[in-house]
Amino acid sequence: MAYLATRNFLEDKDFVDKWLYTIRTGELDLSWMKSATEKVKPHQANPRRGLTYRDLDIGNYGFSALPEKVRDNRSYAPRGAEIPPGVPDSQPWVSRKSELWAFNTESYYEEAVSRQWNATTDIPWDRLESAELPEAIGKALSQLMTFLTEVEMIATDTPAMWLPRLNPDFIEVKAFIAAQAMDEARHTEVFRKRALTTGWGLMQASPMNEMALKHLRDADSFSEMSVALHLVAEGNVLTMFRFSEYLSPTDVDKKIFRLVMQDEARHVGYGMQHFKYVLEHFPEKREVLHAHLDEAENISFAGAAATELTESFIILAGGGLKRENIEEGIRITTIFNLKQMQEHFERLEKCGMPERKERSKLYMMYEMGRAAAEAAGIRV
Amino acid sequence: MAVSFPSVEYFEALREKMAAHQDKFQRLGFIDTTFGVSVANNGKSRNFILEFEVYELRSVREVPSVDPRQVDFVLVGDSRVWREMIENIRRNGEADTSHDINTLAHLGEQLKIVYDSPDGHDKLYRFMESIQQFFDLTSQVDVSFNQ
Repeated sequence: MAYLATRNFLEDKDFVDKWLYTIRTGELDLSWMKSATEKVKPHQANPRRGLTYRDLDIGNYGFSALPEKVRDNRSYAPRGAEIPPGVPDSQPWVSRKSELWAFNTESYYEEAVSRQWNATTDIPWDRLESAELPEAIGKALSQLMTFLTEVEMIATDTPAMWLPRLNPDFIEVKAFIAAQAMDEARHTEVFRKRALTTGWGLMQASPMNEMALKHLRDADSFSEMSVALHLVAEGNVLTMFRFSEYLSPTDVDKKIFRLVMQDEARHVGYGMQHFKYVLEHFPEKREVLHAHLDEAENISFAGAAATELTESFIILAGGGLKRENIEEGIRITTIFNLKQMQEHFERLEKCGMPERKERSKLYMMYEMGRAAAEAAGIRV
Repeated sequence: MAVSFPSVEYFEALREKMAAHQDKFQRLGFIDTTFGVSVANNGKSRNFILEFEVYELRSVREVPSVDPRQVDFVLVGDSRVWREMIENIRRNGEADTSHDINTLAHLGEQLKIVYDSPDGHDKLYRFMESIQQFFDLTSQVDVSFNQ
């Protein structure tokens, strides 16, 4: 037990006497009724949407009023509540808006809540009963699902780890991060279920993948975590989900990937908006972001080239293990790998970091990869 | 009576079907995106802008061309590809594994996705299931094809 109450209430005579006095006499304190807080009346901007966090962006209750440094509140007092003496310090690690804020955070949260789906009942699992896949395809699909289950387990832990570390005044960000943890848990679930329904069970875990993912989990700051997870890793995984949907051998797999890509794109959106927010409001942090990207790109290059993943994709893309299947699989998988890199730099450029290409070793790899592909007759 | 593709009437027909299936689209969640659809035929194209908000298609209009900066993304394809997709949906009740939007657009060889901002591009994926199910409503509409 790291935290003990400041008093032993069960043995505190004054506390117990007061409790019993209130029961006997009905005499109430009521000092809380005099709270000197803002009285507001939120309205639904769009009744079809309901009452959103944006509708609550009023006066001191609103996220627009949040300062860069939250000094007034280090407790769990809800933003805008009166804070009497005696609330414990929750010791948040992050009390600076620039570390975690993103444009439209509240909208990403509302979208997350409204677009939740159910991995147990929204996937037509019964349609798999009649689906028979050739052995190589079935095993490759199961390996892909094993890999993705691994990815999503760490993606669940990583945002969840940061929840208690963020100052409670950043309600909307915490809500989005909590929703993300739920999204990733659902992804873990659906990929595990699909692996086990292939009939081949789970396949092999990936040391390369896990090394890459450990970097996300052990980030030193929320901003570093967001750059590495939301922007770089999830940007790659979004392209991967789109590719996986394209490769999917059954309509059930297509449905799975269409649903997971929705969540992933939303996470990437938050990551991009956080990145843009920091660049626009705190230009002095540009070099810090470059440093985050240096390692994140290093790790993502390794993770994306993991043997278990690459070979599964080649087999799924090519349709088997014959020579002509492998050749076709390599062609399509190469296009996908290069697309992952190209879209990463496109995002950074649009977020306000066009110069990243000039200093990124990953961009050098992209150019080398493109040249090699073109030399091999692969039209990119 | 059949609606002609491509036309505003076609998309209006899908809008009506979407309104009639609000339970399904509410279950899928908010869809907040504006995108273009461009159908090319013999060197010319017909272009439409579809604006979705909350759970419905709010508006659809035909325009001379779609500026990617004014929309989230544009789905561009030859009329032959669009027709094949629509006929596939009508035959199967929904797009099969070779004719859903993501598959047709993935390599850019059948449908292309044109965009100005990656954030706008990503909205196709944020709302992918809703967009797919919107087009799948074609299974409930009689469609004829302009030459």
